[in-house]
Amino acid sequence: MPDTQALVNEFVVKLKRRKVEGSHATARLTAELLRSVISQQRVPYTNQAGVLIEAVKAVGEQLISANPVELAVGNIVRRVLHIIREEDLSLATTAIGGLNLSAGSDDEDDAELDDRTVLSAAAVAAAARSTLRAPSLHTLLEDIPDSVAAPHTSSSGGDSEGKSKSADKNSRTRKLKHDVIEAINELIQDIDTCHEQIAEQAVEHIHQNEVILTLGRSRTVMEFLCAAKEKKRSFRVFVAEGAPRYQGHVLAKELVARGLQTTVITDSAVFAMISRVNMVIVGAHAIMANGGVIAPVGLNMVALAAQRHAVPFVVVAGSHKLCPLYPHNPEVLLNDLRSPSELLDFGEFSDCMDFGTGSGAPLLHVVNPAFDYVPPKLVSLFITDTCYTTEELTPFCNFCIGNTSGAVALLLIKY
Amino acid sequence: MWRRSASFILDQQQEKKSKALTSPSMDEPLQNPNLNNPNNISAYYQTRAAHYGVVTSDWLAQAQAAVGFDPVDAASEKGIRSVDSDKPFSVIDEFNHWRKLPDLAEAVAAILALASVIRSSKATTMMELESELKKASDSLKSWDTTSISLTAGCDLFMRYVTRTSALEYEDFDAAKLRLIERAEKFGEISRKARRTIAMLSQDFIFDGCTILVHGFSRVVLEVLKTAAQNKKLFRVLCTEGRPDRTGLRLSNELAKLDVPVKLLIDSAVAYTMDEVDMVFVGADGVVESGGIINMMGTYQIALVAHSMNKPVYVAAESYKFARLYPLDQKDLTPALRPIDFGVPIPSGVEVETSARDYTPPQYLTLLFTDLGVLTPSVVSDELIQLYL
Repeated sequence: MPDTQALVNEFVVKLKRRKVEGSHATARLTAELLRSVISQQRVPYTNQAGVLIEAVKAVGEQLISANPVELAVGNIVRRVLHIIREEDLSLATTAIGGLNLSAGSDDEDDAELDDRTVLSAAAVAAAARSTLRAPSLHTLLEDIPDSVAAPHTSSSGGDSEGKSKSADKNSRTRKLKHDVIEAINELIQDIDTCHEQIAEQAVEHIHQNEVILTLGRSRTVMEFLCAAKEKKRSFRVFVAEGAPRYQGHVLAKELVARGLQTTVITDSAVFAMISRVNMVIVGAHAIMANGGVIAPVGLNMVALAAQRHAVPFVVVAGSHKLCPLYPHNPEVLLNDLRSPSELLDFGEFSDCMDFGTGSGAPLLHVVNPAFDYVPPKLVSLFITDTCYTTEELTPFCNFCIGNTSGAVALLLIKY
Repeated sequence: MWRRSASFILDQQQEKKSKALTSPSMDEPLQNPNLNNPNNISAYYQTRAAHYGVVTSDWLAQAQAAVGFDPVDAASEKGIRSVDSDKPFSVIDEFNHWRKLPDLAEAVAAILALASVIRSSKATTMMELESELKKASDSLKSWDTTSISLTAGCDLFMRYVTRTSALEYEDFDAAKLRLIERAEKFGEISRKARRTIAMLSQDFIFDGCTILVHGFSRVVLEVLKTAAQNKKLFRVLCTEGRPDRTGLRLSNELAKLDVPVKLLIDSAVAYTMDEVDMVFVGADGVVESGGIINMMGTYQIALVAHSMNKPVYVAAESYKFARLYPLDQKDLTPALRPIDFGVPIPSGVEVETSARDYTPPQYLTLLFTDLGVLTPSVVSDELIQLYL
């Protein structure tokens, strides 16, 4: 598959050079790339899921290492892996159902079936499903065969091997790949529509005559505010300009174009204005498993100001930004240091930063971090989209909307 | 003034109830010497004292070597023995036998005891077996109301028996066999849980960190042991853990692993907190609010850590999740334990002998369990889902 490799390399280079920006675009492109990887992947009759998982993992590792700070890549890779496992499992269970578990069936629960009475098909399905779900107290005592508890690839290999003997091979081979690609298409659609999904909830949160503060520009925030405006809410927006990239200016322009009353303030004026604000609504770069937020630089300050005046600090983010990792030293490890040219014009200060002057080291340093880490206790509310198609995730989304950081952790450990 | 608090009234009620509960169960296993469990000393802490206070790990190793096989094998052996013995079967005896084994957690002992109930049961239907188990687990629970993991273990197993896919067998004997087999595997599950927790927590221990540990917990020891094996460089501060000196024992174990250890008296926690990077504690029980019940002193350590912005991590296996919702410190059945002050105490002076306290969830950062790394609020969700 030389063509997919070329695609992968191209995307890796783009990621490395930070040519793809924003987690939304990255998530979408990653999903599309993985879809083409899967569709190009040749699958053998046996162990199809295993092969697909291996392929996705290999590509995923390359992508993640290309830009480890862009957590959306990893999130999408994990979601795709989950999709493959789930589709494989649903195929396996329907196959079991179809076979009605003829005696001596050779499926993945071999180990527990061997000398005992045959489990009913429902029980097998339940046991198999429990291997996909995160461990819980429910399943603590239940029998999880070691082969399944161990890396899933081997077990799924075993079971598809078993199945291919009985079921007709051709349709099954096509089926898995087809189902997986279908599911990834759905995922891409979800990513596309996440803004609208989030914006739908805007009227519940923004009330008449309120003053909203935001910093920088986030498409999710923009659509959120506009959706409230469309529902005939009249409110005012303070936009902190978001130095050094001044994306706030762009947002202000867009909001004014939609007829919203907008005020632009400098970042340093946030604390001065916060007492007049009813709610802070911001976007995020990524949401970590403990409910902490990786956000554009400057937001930690806003969050602290909001806490000081007991103003609700609301984070809106699509579900592709939910990351199941815990931040360790996030200020350093999950940060990008960007070019100083955003802060200073090249000509003006280039002398001060010259290595040739004085002792050999420049006297002027410029540090330009891209992200802030907002600790979970400063966030009052997360608003995410409810577009999970997997039925087991839906109940948790509601939690996630109505609840604080703990619920995000809850949502994350489930996938 | 405190006598007027609602929880105090609750305490009194509970005490009465537990007495009422114990008395009917007295009649069946009369010859059991352990049954007259002196109500003023918690059996749970008797076990702990036996395991951690007096017994050293060398002794433990010797004892294990002498026994010659691992506790789970022992489990099956003993279980079979108890079937063909003539004397009337008693869960509490069985439980006491198991809890003597040093490597076995209390919940595991409870589940093994319930398994032997199944084995010796002469029930012929599932309903009969269930009610027998219910009786056994009730008598176990009321025998030692202070042990949270005992109660949690019983609840978990009962829950498994009543609502599990494993019982979709048509055959009653097969179902019975399966239940017994699962129960016996539980010892293994608990040991695997400890490994999982140790693996999960490794990311959180970074080079050069200082960890404050309170009390002796097998899970915490496993976590630190794994970190030491992974060549992490860290320092441990151990509290002394009066009165049963569990901290001394932990420092002894850690010194064997060449981990730099410093012993503190219990009252030096606030003094040393500024050099601490994280607090690591185990738990006797994790309650529905997401808080923990642990050895006396955990609450004040958590308070100090919270006020100095240090993370408090709890390592606990998921079978310690208990269906309790304590509202305050006095809202628990107090587990009492004798305290030796070294000098005679003048008459008329009261001594607070409670062995544990309740740490509310807002003072805990994360819980490391075999279900994953959880925030306290996820714990309550997990419990709600299980017993909904």
